[in-house]
Amino acid sequence: MPTEHSTPEYWVEQYGDFLFRYALKRLRDENAAEEVVQETFLNGIKYYSQYSGKGSQQAWLTGILKRKIIDFIRKRNKHQHDQSEEHDPSNQLFDQHGNYHKNATSWSSGLDRNLQSSELWTIVKGCLTHLPQSQADVFTLSVMEELDSDEICKELAITPSNYWVRMHRARLGLANCVGRQWNSKEEAATHAE
Amino acid sequence: MLNDKKATELFSKSIDGELTETESNQLEVHLSNSEAAKAFAVLAKTIDKSIVENSGISESGDGDSALSQDAKNRMSDSILRAMEKNSNLAATLLDSSESPADQQFTLQNQQEIQPGDSREASSPYTIVRKLGEGGLGNVWLARDEKLNRNVAIKEMNSHALQSPKAWQRFEREAEITGQLEHPNVVSLYQYGTDRKTGEPFYSMRFVGKRTLADAITEYHDRCLAGKCDPLILHRLLTAFLGVCQAIAYAHSRGVIHRDLKPENIGLDNFGQVMVLDWGLAKVVDDSDLSSQLSGDVELSGEALAETLAGEVIGTPLFMSPEQAAGKSVSQQADIYGLGAILFAILTGDAPHEPKKSKSAEPLKIKEVLKSIQQSESPRPRDFRADIPIELEAICMKAMAFKKYARHDTASELANDVERWMVNQGQRQSEYETMRMEGRELRTNTQASVRDLETNVRFMANLPPIQELIRADSVEETTAWRDRLITIFSGLLRAKSDYRSIVYSRLEGDEFTELVRVERHSTVHSNIRSIPKSRLRSGTSSEFIQRVGQNDPDEVYTSLACGALHDAASCEKKDVTLFAGVPIFDSQEENLYGVVIIECDLDHILKQQLNRRFVATDIIVACDTYQTILHSNGQDGIVDESVGKTLQPTRPELTEAITHLQEKMEYIDTTNQQVYGARLWLNANPHGIMFLLSHK
Repeated sequence: MPTEHSTPEYWVEQYGDFLFRYALKRLRDENAAEEVVQETFLNGIKYYSQYSGKGSQQAWLTGILKRKIIDFIRKRNKHQHDQSEEHDPSNQLFDQHGNYHKNATSWSSGLDRNLQSSELWTIVKGCLTHLPQSQADVFTLSVMEELDSDEICKELAITPSNYWVRMHRARLGLANCVGRQWNSKEEAATHAE
Repeated sequence: MLNDKKATELFSKSIDGELTETESNQLEVHLSNSEAAKAFAVLAKTIDKSIVENSGISESGDGDSALSQDAKNRMSDSILRAMEKNSNLAATLLDSSESPADQQFTLQNQQEIQPGDSREASSPYTIVRKLGEGGLGNVWLARDEKLNRNVAIKEMNSHALQSPKAWQRFEREAEITGQLEHPNVVSLYQYGTDRKTGEPFYSMRFVGKRTLADAITEYHDRCLAGKCDPLILHRLLTAFLGVCQAIAYAHSRGVIHRDLKPENIGLDNFGQVMVLDWGLAKVVDDSDLSSQLSGDVELSGEALAETLAGEVIGTPLFMSPEQAAGKSVSQQADIYGLGAILFAILTGDAPHEPKKSKSAEPLKIKEVLKSIQQSESPRPRDFRADIPIELEAICMKAMAFKKYARHDTASELANDVERWMVNQGQRQSEYETMRMEGRELRTNTQASVRDLETNVRFMANLPPIQELIRADSVEETTAWRDRLITIFSGLLRAKSDYRSIVYSRLEGDEFTELVRVERHSTVHSNIRSIPKSRLRSGTSSEFIQRVGQNDPDEVYTSLACGALHDAASCEKKDVTLFAGVPIFDSQEENLYGVVIIECDLDHILKQQLNRRFVATDIIVACDTYQTILHSNGQDGIVDESVGKTLQPTRPELTEAITHLQEKMEYIDTTNQQVYGARLWLNANPHGIMFLLSHK
């Protein structure tokens, strides 16, 4: 007899939020995250016979989800125009000799000191959403999913040089954004005092 | 000089560990000079760290993100719809508190069985003891309680359980091993999850704890103790062929092992060879993994490619240069790995075993990897000189620094080794024949030399020899001289190999010929006596002096350029065999002179070598001058090498020549290519060497 703890509702209730948060961090899009979680559950159903261990169910579903996220990013990249070229922070930051413009950098002071991990993460998360999708996706797969460059190039069908350009621009863009936001936060705190 | 832009690019790459040493140094210099670049580096690292800390699968996540109730309802509905399509799956999921096996069979009893229905089972295993451990997991000996048999169980260790990547790799290892069905690939019985811990494991055939590494160590320990058994080498090579076949099969399925080493080759007690540990295996094109592996077997949707380019994967001691460089590897990396295993079989050492340095500090892995990337592969014969050259050549080809120079396939490598093994028997038999030929050549030449010695001794004892000493008138001297000429001429007619017979008087360091009978240099049948007016005299050569030092009837035999004059002015081609006996005045009992016979050794050798041999090359050399006296190739006499110095002409004969300086015989047990025999001349430290070889 089915029990209260073994219905599909319970399954969704038990793992749904965790998987959703996991996907949202990587895809930065609620609809997309919901879609991959749903696909994960359906895939879990299809191959459930292969996994009967109780304790590992969440980890097993996460494994499926990781694959689904990569598949989703691949599809998204395939159908999206690569905006990397139009969002090159180098133009703003560097002069004709390739050195930083004066006052262009916003990360010159105190960013590595006394940062509350949760505060920084909030800023980083926000800045990730401001990055061009193509840069953020490559960056996410590399840093969050720990895929190496060859894997990412293969999954997204991009060349290694394109990969490195995207990674570099993502890092510059993130540093620029995080630096500015942190400075604003600091200034606000100073005014409040 | 770097600018800030380039420096940030390099820094970005450095986080992923992609920088060369030069780039690293340049970056370091720039960061120390540019505050802005340095600040960027610090911030970029801080951001990466923040992302990594907040991306783990175990964290509870951001509290503000959750599925809406609508979304949850939609998901539940879609799950139910999917379940309705397959009632078996529904049942499985609906009551996860019972064992899937029990429940599944209950359902099957109530319904008609359809194609596509599944069966699930649980198998209790009792752990017996630990067999080994690696980076990813531990291997246990366990008892399958249902089938009452021993199995090996591999499970992830606590460290690996923390890493999602390790979970994927473990699952992947099981998937690859399970799909490779080959007699030399360990059979996987079951992949499952432990009910208590939820941790994955798989059971496989237990092949015992002995590995190829153990067998190699045992063989070489025996060799060190002087009990080297060729049969064991034959068995090791047979095992190696099994490994090659397993890898060839895996390659045909698009799988590259990437961690081939003797420790990963299991050996059971009945000679069965198993390639183990496919944990680092890579599938060439993962998009088609299932079809590549088995053609029709459906794999789980979670089959993930693990192209680990950029990381150094494998065991450094057996690693190919491209693997050490962290480059993407192909099947050629496994060919190198197989060559490295062959290297270990032949030498007892891993090819990249760091040499023991004087400093006690051990080499770091980074240094070993760098060395593998930069230096040519080592030569087995530098480790053990008695390794057959042909086998070394096969090993060196498999371990070639450049990928294209290696064997194209593992089967090709196996064929080369097998061909060598098969040829061993034939080579042995041919070598035995060659040894017989060499010994026969020496024996026949020795017979001619002994005959020469007997004849010169006989000549020295002829009555006219003493009568000439005592003759006190011209008539008497002429009469005895004529008698001697007649006898000497008779001997020269009877012995076509002899060039001349001379009776000389010795006074101090001076010699004077009394009688000389010789063969015409071009018309060999013409035997002539040299008139008194043309007889020679002068300072005694070293040979004459040496003959004069002998006791009566003692023969001195030598290869020399000239019996009468020293060799300084003669050509090496003129080296001839001489035998001489001292003559003592029978009344005074003082040294009076010498009798010397000059023999045409080349004529003797030509007669002997004028037949077919198994040996493709025969060289007869004189070791007084290290000069080639005669050289026979497959097509007959090789005139151009006669008179040349032996060693530079044939470097592969060096070992045999050195050996024959002191020994009668040289037997090439390693390569069975060269046989050497030596003929000692009477009372002489020098002699004649016979060197036979075949290709």
